[in-house]
Amino acid sequence: MPLFGHLDLATIANRLPTLPNLDTPAWALPGAETMQLLLETSRTAADALLPKAMHPAVPSYLAITVTRCPESPVGPFTLATVRLGSRAGAHPRGLVLGAYASTPEAADGLRHGWGIPATAAKVSLTRRHDRLMGVVEKDGTTVLDCALVNPEAISGSDVQLINWVTMANAPLDGTTSPMLIQVDPKYAFHKAERGRPEVRTFDAAAWNAGNLRPGDPIVATVAMVDTDLPRIRFVMDPLKPVYQGTRRIRESRADE
Amino acid sequence: MKFGIFYEISVPRPWTREREREVYMNCLEQVKLADELGFEQVWAVEHHFLEEYSHCSAPELFLTACAMVTKNIRVGHGIVVCVPQFNHPIKIAERTATLDILSGGRLEVGTGRSATWTELGGFRANPDDTKKSWDEFVRCLPKMWMQETFAYEGEFWSMPERTILPKVYQRPHPPMWVAVTSPGTELDAADRGLGSLGLTFAGFAEQDKKIREYRRRIQLCEPVGAFVNEQVGTTNFLFCHEDNDTGVAMGKRLGDTFNYLAAQLISTREVYASRSYQSLGLLPQLRRAATGPDSTSEQAEGLCFGDPKRIINAIKRWESIGVDRINFLLNANEVVPQDQVLASLRLFAKEVMPAFATSGARPTLAPAAAAGGV
Repeated sequence: MPLFGHLDLATIANRLPTLPNLDTPAWALPGAETMQLLLETSRTAADALLPKAMHPAVPSYLAITVTRCPESPVGPFTLATVRLGSRAGAHPRGLVLGAYASTPEAADGLRHGWGIPATAAKVSLTRRHDRLMGVVEKDGTTVLDCALVNPEAISGSDVQLINWVTMANAPLDGTTSPMLIQVDPKYAFHKAERGRPEVRTFDAAAWNAGNLRPGDPIVATVAMVDTDLPRIRFVMDPLKPVYQGTRRIRESRADE
Repeated sequence: MKFGIFYEISVPRPWTREREREVYMNCLEQVKLADELGFEQVWAVEHHFLEEYSHCSAPELFLTACAMVTKNIRVGHGIVVCVPQFNHPIKIAERTATLDILSGGRLEVGTGRSATWTELGGFRANPDDTKKSWDEFVRCLPKMWMQETFAYEGEFWSMPERTILPKVYQRPHPPMWVAVTSPGTELDAADRGLGSLGLTFAGFAEQDKKIREYRRRIQLCEPVGAFVNEQVGTTNFLFCHEDNDTGVAMGKRLGDTFNYLAAQLISTREVYASRSYQSLGLLPQLRRAATGPDSTSEQAEGLCFGDPKRIINAIKRWESIGVDRINFLLNANEVVPQDQVLASLRLFAKEVMPAFATSGARPTLAPAAAAGGV
């Protein structure tokens, strides 16, 4: 059997977001620009951050994403996330370790809607001729400074953006307890580019990333997409293998 | 219809000192029995870093051992990764020729380019280049085997004139294949006159379409070697048991385990946006089937487990859509005890093999070879 994560939930219980319910309405996010940097990272450090329900990816990798959303139910915002590439059973997933949103409204909505551990910070995605730069400043300190270098046009169909998993307290069957929540956005691609990922600053503590450090670069992409944050469909027990501990909350969308 | 066996060499944790040796020895025992029972080929993959799923990183060594303990079974190097960071083409030519000699001309050469980031990233190979380097390699290999001397200037490798030794034992050279997982690779195989070595467990409809396209396209091929190897192989699981329910249950366990392990691999497309890897290949299908290692979900159609009658029916369907040979995966993570693997092989040989003719078409010589020009 593949290995499982060995996160001790007690070590993070006090910082998990709490959802009032699992009935979060979907957010449509048309015209978003999303930059994703993939870099390999330490396996040992990654396994310590993965809940026991999930398998590590081999090799472990980080997905650093900065997304500019010009339209949303809470107005325009920019979101930066750090996710850990992993497996929920047989499925590739990105476990959200940390997140920052450029407005308090967005941070609050993401935190209480999907369990994305977002707090408000200065988040920017800036395009220059030879690179796209993502920067996050928290309380005047830069906690992320990254870039996609030398973008070249590719087809949107070449880009694979895997689904997310968040960890949060949420009510189910009359009890509020930690659970894993699947967040599975849809993407309609309008434009895509590819380049080399570059990370100048990565404050692991600020991203709840333990001893993870960005390592060997894989690839960076940026895409113009119509996307969304959909209604929650699946939650998982963080302590059981997902093929035993998954609960369907509602049916799939009509287009799935 | 011909039958072969196919090895990933899957080793379960914990990897104790003796564990890998035990699995290798089990595989060798199976190969020896398969040879005695009349199986026609044994294939071994080349994979690297794929924990539990495949510990078969030096297939040429395993296949040499196979050749040394068998008499008739052909040994399939399937596939050798044609990416320069993995294998230098000169070394491929030399190793395969040596294996052909040692096996007494029983070598089949499968070619491919690797599908996982785990492997490509591990060798720091550029996924954008693998299809191109594969194309260079497969065009060079026959010449390296056949020509007195060889020199080459290409995009991915080059060499001054040298005599590459030894030469292959088979004349003009061993049959060549390409691994077909991504849609469209069957056309690459056909265009080059290579055998189509299907590594998916896809259902009949998808395979039927691929095979028809392959057969149609290969009529106008420009073979990279001295002959056209028009053959379609596919991969399947095998667990044959007198009691159908027992056979199906164990077969499903085998299939579920394999699929679950396969689904853990990082396909190149999952992380690396590239035109060169537009398809996720084998993995999405396996993920759909792999809801868990103890899944009760339905498996893909046409899988060869159950009693002999059920397996004969499945193979008849594959035969009807033009499959020439089926290579069977016998185990994954050792979930099938060795004595049951051996019993399954014996029962298959006794009850299933007689239902199928074993004489296949001979490879067609390309004009140059037919005229003695190679």
